[in-house]
Amino acid sequence: MVETVELLPGVVLRCCPVERFKQGCLSIQFLRPMCRQEAALNAVLPAVLLRGSERHPDLRAITLRLDELYGASVHALVRRVGDVQAVGFLCGMIEDRFALPGERVLEPMVEFLEELLFAPRLEGGMLCPAYVQSEQENLIAEIDAQRNDKRAYSVELLLERMGRADSFGIPRTGDRMSAQAITPESCDAHYRRVLRESPVEIFYVGSNPPQETARLLRKLFAGRGRDHKSLPATTPFHDVGGGDVEQCVHAAQGNLAMGFVTPITNRDPRFAAMQVLNTLYGGGMTSKLFSQVRERLSLCYGIGSSYYGSKGVGLVTAGIDNAQRERVQSEILAQLDACRRGEITDEELRCAKASLLSGYRAVFDSPGSVESYCATAAIGGIDASVEARMAQVAAVDASQVVAAAQALRLHSTCFLKGVES
Amino acid sequence: MIRQYPALDERVAWEKLENGLTVAVLPRPGFSAKMAYLVADYGAVHTEFRLDGKRRTAPAGVAHFLEHKMFELPQLDVTAQFAAMGASVNAFTSYDLTAYYFSCTEHFDDCLHLLLKFVGTPYFPDESVARELGIIDQEIGMNEDDPGSRVFENLMRGMYAKHPIRTPILGSRESIREITPQVLQLCHRAFYTPQNLMLCVAGDVDAQRVCDAARDVLGTDAPAAAEKLRDWQEPAECVQNQICDRMEVSMPVFQMAFKCEPPGFGEAAIRQEAVGDLAAEALFGESSPLYLRLYEDGLIDGSFGGGFETVDGCAILTCAGNSRDPQAVRDAVLAQSELLGRQMLPREAFERMKRSAFGRRIRDLDSFDSTCFRLCAYHFSKFDYFDFPAVYGSIQPSDIRSFLHGIAVPQRCCLSVIHPIKEELS
Repeated sequence: MVETVELLPGVVLRCCPVERFKQGCLSIQFLRPMCRQEAALNAVLPAVLLRGSERHPDLRAITLRLDELYGASVHALVRRVGDVQAVGFLCGMIEDRFALPGERVLEPMVEFLEELLFAPRLEGGMLCPAYVQSEQENLIAEIDAQRNDKRAYSVELLLERMGRADSFGIPRTGDRMSAQAITPESCDAHYRRVLRESPVEIFYVGSNPPQETARLLRKLFAGRGRDHKSLPATTPFHDVGGGDVEQCVHAAQGNLAMGFVTPITNRDPRFAAMQVLNTLYGGGMTSKLFSQVRERLSLCYGIGSSYYGSKGVGLVTAGIDNAQRERVQSEILAQLDACRRGEITDEELRCAKASLLSGYRAVFDSPGSVESYCATAAIGGIDASVEARMAQVAAVDASQVVAAAQALRLHSTCFLKGVES
Repeated sequence: MIRQYPALDERVAWEKLENGLTVAVLPRPGFSAKMAYLVADYGAVHTEFRLDGKRRTAPAGVAHFLEHKMFELPQLDVTAQFAAMGASVNAFTSYDLTAYYFSCTEHFDDCLHLLLKFVGTPYFPDESVARELGIIDQEIGMNEDDPGSRVFENLMRGMYAKHPIRTPILGSRESIREITPQVLQLCHRAFYTPQNLMLCVAGDVDAQRVCDAARDVLGTDAPAAAEKLRDWQEPAECVQNQICDRMEVSMPVFQMAFKCEPPGFGEAAIRQEAVGDLAAEALFGESSPLYLRLYEDGLIDGSFGGGFETVDGCAILTCAGNSRDPQAVRDAVLAQSELLGRQMLPREAFERMKRSAFGRRIRDLDSFDSTCFRLCAYHFSKFDYFDFPAVYGSIQPSDIRSFLHGIAVPQRCCLSVIHPIKEELS
């Protein structure tokens, strides 16, 4: 279903030709190593490029152009996939058949992207310093604002603690100190390095034929004098020991985040079993955590688990009454222990597998989910089709889920104690 | 009845069943996912109603509490049943609607039967209702810690004198303690009748089978729904023009709004909504001169956004975001709205804006979720959502000017701000 075309060395186009959607989706991603030195620079770059180009020199001119393209969207994209930070643009636009007779949308959209990427607004031969400074301030404000969402903030602190020696501990958009260190000069030099050296992944979902799409997009990169450098494969989580973080915050609720590690990653044959375990343990409204900790014990409203296959990291988060912290934590661990002892009903196993399979089946039902699944798999170096993943999930049995639970180890916790203001 | 919508490349099978339920089925051949929304024309603001000839007052938060408790049937765990079929089920309560929905890729007929069954069956055991209090207490706590919810709820208290939008959807810790199984039974009987519900399905499904399922499960009786009492008599001006609060946020969080005329029903209401949307675009949309000026002055950032919002009996033109100086944003928006209330938008800019709004609505149709929900919500406003191209086509620049002229006065404007708490905690 996905056709891959190497447009030029280091520039790959993946097309999912479908006619049933009303909109198309196009992403252009430059792949960078996820590292502290450049995470913030990478994050600020697409935002700076979206501030103005030679022909459309400010935000308003850019938005007016998008309005002409029937309300098309171009968003800055900053994505973490294993040890890779993918940065670029994510675009959505109506299919040409809804445009006025004789008008096209995809082709002018690609031309517009070329302009945004390769002909930005310059001053003195450099990226416009005012735009760099303004987007730097916005990035710092965004990093600071992570504290506003206490649940997300508890996860941020937890990952920082867990990943002191791993790229997973670096915030997706970089840390405050790196963002503060950005200058117009460093941003401009980085922009040129990114264009020159980065492998590029392009995804298109829509009705335009792949060969025609390849022709449009090849023009973007032809003759740019690129010298791309391949990135190393993602490494397993580098563990230098865990610990517990506790902080007081002005809030009505307490927020608990628990981090687990496992050698099972998405490159491991046991990956499907770990996915099933995560779903059964805390992945939805029939999970053990939801049904026991929320519904039976009424200890919280929001509780759930997640699993980051690229690194083999599991998380549980819950918004709770401060006084119940120890009780909630021990109940969360008790439910995992139950999985380790094999206390898994046939029904729980069937529900977890059915939920995962349904999710996989629906991947090709929206342009955004196709892009997200295919981009993440390709950037992560995972060569597994949806069909292959479904077959692996379908084959998981209870003993494999128990083994997955036994391979999950509590690493660190973070508790944000709510203090009434 | 099949209706065709050539401008949108859509067709919908519409049926009104004998029991009063409206059913809409959107065929989506070739898609794996199937989605069903069963929506009640009943939300948090409908606390006053007449049933069996008597005026009733329900505690604040009862629509949301009821939504939580509907997921139980005698001897049956509803969510587990959906999960066993690989389906995910959920629900939400807004100020004026309650929506129950599922998505699945297999066993659609069984899922649909189960959805109709659990929404149609009132079952509220005492101990289960008591247990729910603890869960909703925690949800209220989570809501109180969310700056976005708090700034909005404060804004509504600042704007409205009488309308129940002043009260949060969840109610309060006190009001939910007045909710008993008997109250839940009463509200279910009042508002979960087939004629106060709408079923909308999207997917590769058979419309006739959908209607048959609704008849099978909900029966053919058509009991009358309660009469919603809307004697709110809300003044045109805001109660106050500024409302402030403090939380642990990194920079001030704000939301401001202009109080507009209540929307009413039918095409006029939808036209007002489309005009309101375009007015919001013209005033502070990303392609407006004001947006550029505020962004370049560092007064707003990517978090800024706004639009026109309606709830039964209320309508606001609103914008929100983070800003180091919300007062300056408010002053600039007010000044610009006064200007646009006097001046006509240039025709070229207006047409470009309409084209953009139209394109965004077309793109939205790829989402089963938003399309099903909008069809239901607009149906309760007595309008077919898929007729929006004609409504947009009829709007002129003078409509935008008149709309803004009517609301761009300081007395109709309120600013809600959450200021950062400076005190550090150890």
